[in-house]
Amino acid sequence: MIDTTTDLPVLTAETTTRRRRPGWRAVPGAVIALYLAVAVVGPLLVDYDPVATSLADRLLGPGAATSAGGTALLGTDPLGRDVFAQVVYGARTSVTIAVLTVALSALIGVTVGVVAGYFGRAVDAVLSRSIDVLLAFPGIVLAIVVAGLFTRSIVVVVVALALTGWIPFARLSRSSALAVRDREWVAAARVMGVPRRTILTRHVLPFVLGPVVALATTDFGLVVLAEAGLSFLGIGLPPSTVSWGQTIATGKEYLSTAWWISAFPGLALALLVICVGLLGDQFNAYVQGNGRRGVRARKRTAKGPSDAVS
Amino acid sequence: MPSHSRFRRRVTVLAATLAVAALTAACSTTSGGGGDTSTSGGTLTVASPYPAQSLDPHGAAGTGTGTQLADQAIFSRLVRPKPDGTIAPDLATSWEANPDATSWTFTLRTDVKFSDGTALEPATVVASIERIVALKGPNASNFAGVTVKADGADKVVFTAEKPEPALLGKLTLVFVTKAGVTDDEFAKPIGSGPFTVDKFTPGQTLELVPNPTYFGGAPKLDRVVLRVIPEIATRMTALRTGEIQATWGIPDDQVGQLTGDDSVEITTVPATSVYTMWFNSGRPALESAQVRRALWQAVDFATIIKTLYPQTGELSKSVVAPSVLGYAEQPPVAYDPDAAKAALQSAGFDFGTTLQLQYSGAEYRQFIQAVAADLAKVGVKAEPTEKESAVFLQDLLALKWDVNFQSLSTPTFDAATNLGRLYTCAAKRNGYCNPELDGILQQAGTTSDAARREDLYAQASQIIWNDAVGMYPMSVKIAYAWKSNVHGLEASPSYLPDFAPVTLS
Repeated sequence: MIDTTTDLPVLTAETTTRRRRPGWRAVPGAVIALYLAVAVVGPLLVDYDPVATSLADRLLGPGAATSAGGTALLGTDPLGRDVFAQVVYGARTSVTIAVLTVALSALIGVTVGVVAGYFGRAVDAVLSRSIDVLLAFPGIVLAIVVAGLFTRSIVVVVVALALTGWIPFARLSRSSALAVRDREWVAAARVMGVPRRTILTRHVLPFVLGPVVALATTDFGLVVLAEAGLSFLGIGLPPSTVSWGQTIATGKEYLSTAWWISAFPGLALALLVICVGLLGDQFNAYVQGNGRRGVRARKRTAKGPSDAVS
Repeated sequence: MPSHSRFRRRVTVLAATLAVAALTAACSTTSGGGGDTSTSGGTLTVASPYPAQSLDPHGAAGTGTGTQLADQAIFSRLVRPKPDGTIAPDLATSWEANPDATSWTFTLRTDVKFSDGTALEPATVVASIERIVALKGPNASNFAGVTVKADGADKVVFTAEKPEPALLGKLTLVFVTKAGVTDDEFAKPIGSGPFTVDKFTPGQTLELVPNPTYFGGAPKLDRVVLRVIPEIATRMTALRTGEIQATWGIPDDQVGQLTGDDSVEITTVPATSVYTMWFNSGRPALESAQVRRALWQAVDFATIIKTLYPQTGELSKSVVAPSVLGYAEQPPVAYDPDAAKAALQSAGFDFGTTLQLQYSGAEYRQFIQAVAADLAKVGVKAEPTEKESAVFLQDLLALKWDVNFQSLSTPTFDAATNLGRLYTCAAKRNGYCNPELDGILQQAGTTSDAARREDLYAQASQIIWNDAVGMYPMSVKIAYAWKSNVHGLEASPSYLPDFAPVTLS
């Protein structure tokens, strides 16, 4: 099939992609923008105190009226707290933790990776082997151990997740730095006696950052998921902080009677992670250049006719 | 995972069938024309909320509910508690105490043998008590100042330095093992109880088969499997599908789900447990009784209990449960947030301090959060702190908490093991020290007259209640649920149902 479709005029393929792109391609970005907006603005509009309970309103279904005269849009949990507010506040928690963790991971990872890639030899050997050793640990298990050892707080969660989170960044930036360090302009800078630090920041780092941004996006989704996982297990955030993982955990005993407690934060979590993943793919395609995008576009058109036939 | 567990279940069923076949074969060869009662059988699978980490009744796990549940099926004891709190004979057929309760004489059955054929003699009982004291486990202090001697072929005599009126209750926790038993033997211990151990995985499963030589007659069941299913939703599903036939300690919200199911019977029984929230009187912020009482007043326990525990909770009227000897009703502490706030202000309470509410167990999470919410309404910052059970216990004993929550039971049905053990200055359990209370408890612990003891414990309860050593919001009922084909299972107030009389249809 692919062989036959490669004969199709390239122009057609490109025009098809161009026409399609604005439609669905903007969706992940738009959804993420919405989450960010909710995370920043939402808590200002929706009033919620995670400590306060309203026992008279416990386990109300979505849309039910509360004793205070309001409406529980997405229902209430076993202590009468509003699930909608928990979803909104949970968005802020998830985004905050993901941003902090990814930033910390990227900072450590890129520094280690660029140093290893640029200097090579012994430095590279030591750093790369250390990374290999750390890779042998399952990340989430290490995070559970670290998070379990200390009192629950945001800082502990961020550190626990960044502990293994920086490794992919280090590997990626090492290989990029390795490729860049022998390029002409870097050699020229070296010959001209430009200080190493300046070479690294001016001439190497900019070429490393592109793929790092793409990786950071994908990583963002994974961190959101991992944080929810830790909080679900009860070793993530303290109970006074709203977290989707905690709300989902609260609802798991009520799945057959009050599905809304787990369902809505679960949906919010799933949608965010999927959209972040899609956006990461788009970044990847963009970073890897036009030639690659052409291939993708052609493959997609190759799929089209075959779908129509079957 | 599902295929794996299905495989395991199939293996279990296979193993069970094989074992039953082997057992019947063994019976027919050894017992000859003996009564063939153990054929009706069937396997009873239950899920207990508390796992047995060890089967050693004398060691550190001896007061654990999971261990006691297993041990009461495997071992015998001198006397055992009935569900209503009265004491029934087990190994001892009769007993008598001298007037001041310093000397107790127990007459034992003479026909008792361990499942390996060793005879159970008075000396064996003495050896078990000595082992408890030697291992220094949580039950060891019950026998301080008590000497035990075998007297003749069927008598055991306890002699105490001071009157020991609560001895019978304490003996309900003494399971008799073989003399000279070593710690290693508890992987598969030999007992004289209604069941013997077939398989034991600590913290997970215990499989019991009937003891054909049990002096009370071998149980009718072919096998009892005790499982641990920590996840409450999974436990309920397992009950509905018939994977397990009985479970207990079910939270209210799940009791509601089961009531619609005709194949499941639900019973609630008042437990000996009272929700006990001690204040650490050693902390400067909680030093004054006025502050502690005000905090108690600030929480609307009536509403919390009505909404969270409509079926398994009741506002407590005393420090101990009604079925316990020494129970005395106290005037209720009424919910009054305004008065509480005023009292806290006049006592100079620092509203900037954060009180940690320490607890262990997800089932109490909602209750604790509701309490914290009510305290927040009067401006007191309270932070629920859930701890893993081993850490919880360690911190509890080290007094590393502000407010501590426990569902505190009195399995001996005697206030001596609750009030007398926990509230003296020497006990150092909650930072509270009152010489007057010490005097009363001392007197109550060494008086043999039951009416006098009740009166003394009533006085002690009154002091503890009025000084708000802790909050005593709720007396607990335990919800039991079993499939309707299970007969003869009796709901126990101490989470310790007896499987020996159970039959399946």
